[in-house]
Amino acid sequence: MSNKRYQLHWVTAVISVLKTLKEMIIPILLIVFVNGTNDTGKWYLDYFNFFIFGFMLIVFFITGIIKWKRYVYWFEDDELRIEYGLFVKKKRYIPFDRIQSLDYTEGILHRPFNLVKVNVETAGGSASQKAEAELTAITKEAAEVIEKEVAEAKRRKFAVSEEEDQEESEEVFVVPEEPLARKIFTMSGKDLLILATTSGGIGLIISGAAVFLSQFADVLPLDRIYEGLSVFIKSGLFLVAFIVFFVLLIIWGVSVGMTFLAYYGFTVQIADEDIVITRGLIEKKKVTVPLNRVQSIRVVENPFRQLFGYASVVIDSAGGGVGQEGARINLLPLVKKKKALSPLQELFPDFTFEVPTQKLPPRSKGFYYRIHFVWMIPVIAACSYYVFPMGLFSLLIIPVIIFWGVWRQRSAAYEIYGNQLTMRFREISLQTVYMMKKRIQSMEVKQNYFHRKKHVATVSAAVKSGMIAFNAQVRHMEVKEAEKIFAWYEPKRVLKETEEQDDNE
Amino acid sequence: MRKEPMNQISEKGLRVWRVYGMIQAFFILLLAIGAGVLTYIFEWPLYIYAIAGAVVILYIYCFVYLFPKIKWMRWRYEVRETEIELQYGLFIVKRTLIPMVRVQHVDTSQGPILRKYNLAGITISTAATDHEIPALVMEEADDLRSRISNLARVADDDV
Repeated sequence: MSNKRYQLHWVTAVISVLKTLKEMIIPILLIVFVNGTNDTGKWYLDYFNFFIFGFMLIVFFITGIIKWKRYVYWFEDDELRIEYGLFVKKKRYIPFDRIQSLDYTEGILHRPFNLVKVNVETAGGSASQKAEAELTAITKEAAEVIEKEVAEAKRRKFAVSEEEDQEESEEVFVVPEEPLARKIFTMSGKDLLILATTSGGIGLIISGAAVFLSQFADVLPLDRIYEGLSVFIKSGLFLVAFIVFFVLLIIWGVSVGMTFLAYYGFTVQIADEDIVITRGLIEKKKVTVPLNRVQSIRVVENPFRQLFGYASVVIDSAGGGVGQEGARINLLPLVKKKKALSPLQELFPDFTFEVPTQKLPPRSKGFYYRIHFVWMIPVIAACSYYVFPMGLFSLLIIPVIIFWGVWRQRSAAYEIYGNQLTMRFREISLQTVYMMKKRIQSMEVKQNYFHRKKHVATVSAAVKSGMIAFNAQVRHMEVKEAEKIFAWYEPKRVLKETEEQDDNE
Repeated sequence: MRKEPMNQISEKGLRVWRVYGMIQAFFILLLAIGAGVLTYIFEWPLYIYAIAGAVVILYIYCFVYLFPKIKWMRWRYEVRETEIELQYGLFIVKRTLIPMVRVQHVDTSQGPILRKYNLAGITISTAATDHEIPALVMEEADDLRSRISNLARVADDDV
């Protein structure tokens, strides 16, 4: 094994400078604008801000270059070893068999040089520290070298363990050198367009715009704007509404465009034991999820898409950190529900993707809306009292809440197929969660006083999603059924069998 | 109906919860006294004394007497060969099942009050969730911890 030390491509320095600039842009602008150019008569004081700015730019460049120069990685002792750090030299050793996958991203800066950004995803448990690494820019060949090293090391390890027990030694040779990728799913242009236009990213961008504006609130000459605004309002409410609508339209357009670019050419492939997802037009992304890291499969249908028979499929993976892309993966961002079945079945042959049929008893209906009266009654009373005639309209909230409650009760369902539990529930979007028993970390049955009186209970199953738990729960179901699910989850019988086997050996 | 888990937590645990309640009640009492003093100085209406007194008494009743008792009566746990089952909750009764193969590690922890009563809390962690048994006799906690870690073997299809 060679201990040759590799460096990242020099573009890394540029990217890191740009990244720092992006983070610093608002403070810098604030400094420059707030101070403005006061006329003190001395030119070096007038342009003081710009000196600072220029100085900072130079510092960023130098640190960027140093950081790039000092970042090296190499392979040693079946580990990926990285050494980096500006002032303090840091080392990170990642054993190959802890590496779950290498995810690639190609940004605009990567393209002309045929580079990729590599994220090393590890099997970080809740107890272990963060061990991921990011190689900002390396050539594709270098990325392949890493992949090969990892694969080879794993094979070696496999072979060693195989020698110990001879039975499965054939399998070693079955493992292909270059796993063949099989295409499972691609998104058609039409679906992509529908995804973009119905994406929920709108709210995000609105809030982003709000945040952006609030950042500049101190800088902008607000007094003058308010003056202008009052004239503007006088000129007609219609115009205001129109402008608002127009702005929203533009925001929506941007969101559509961004989704389109992000999901362009969305493809799911299966290679060996991994799911490989590639997507993106300007920034190409390639994410690898080992099949055995998938914890649960969720079919999500928001009401609007449900109307047209569309759904999206999300998988929870055990890898990745909190809130990272690693944990919750869009497997099929948008798909006709009927068409979702075949790729899912192909990826997960052990699962049964049927609609759960067990529904809730009618008497659980009240539990879905009754609790809301606790806050509704004071709110309605207050509204009606203080804003007398108009406040009575707040009564309209009651049918809405009741409708929502009944809707959720009707949507909820569950079913057990062998070792698989399917749970379906709705807040706004309908979610159907498919889980294997061995992936459920713990299960809980909850009952309050009223539940006990009516013999209903809430069942919740926790599956791992990244560093945290995702709780799938069917609320207010028949208590006997809840206990049945609980009993199903109890590992007693299965383990006894294996113990007997142990004894036999 | 499912059988309840077998073991109750130590009776000393109840006493510890009462102590916790008393500590909290002490602060409420201080607040009430503060309110009383202010009422006296600024000659606020007299019923404030009554409210302050009622709040303190109610608080003591609930948090020193009633809630610990309900909580203690409810708390059950059982560590079996293949799973751990818990039952707890004041208003909402929760029953949790944790298969042994899912257990990743077990911690015992002991604060000053627990130490005085020779008790310890035990936390059972799976890959995604944490579960706590709050007050066990020290020896029992240690014993349980070693039992759980012996029983919890890493399965092949672990996460």
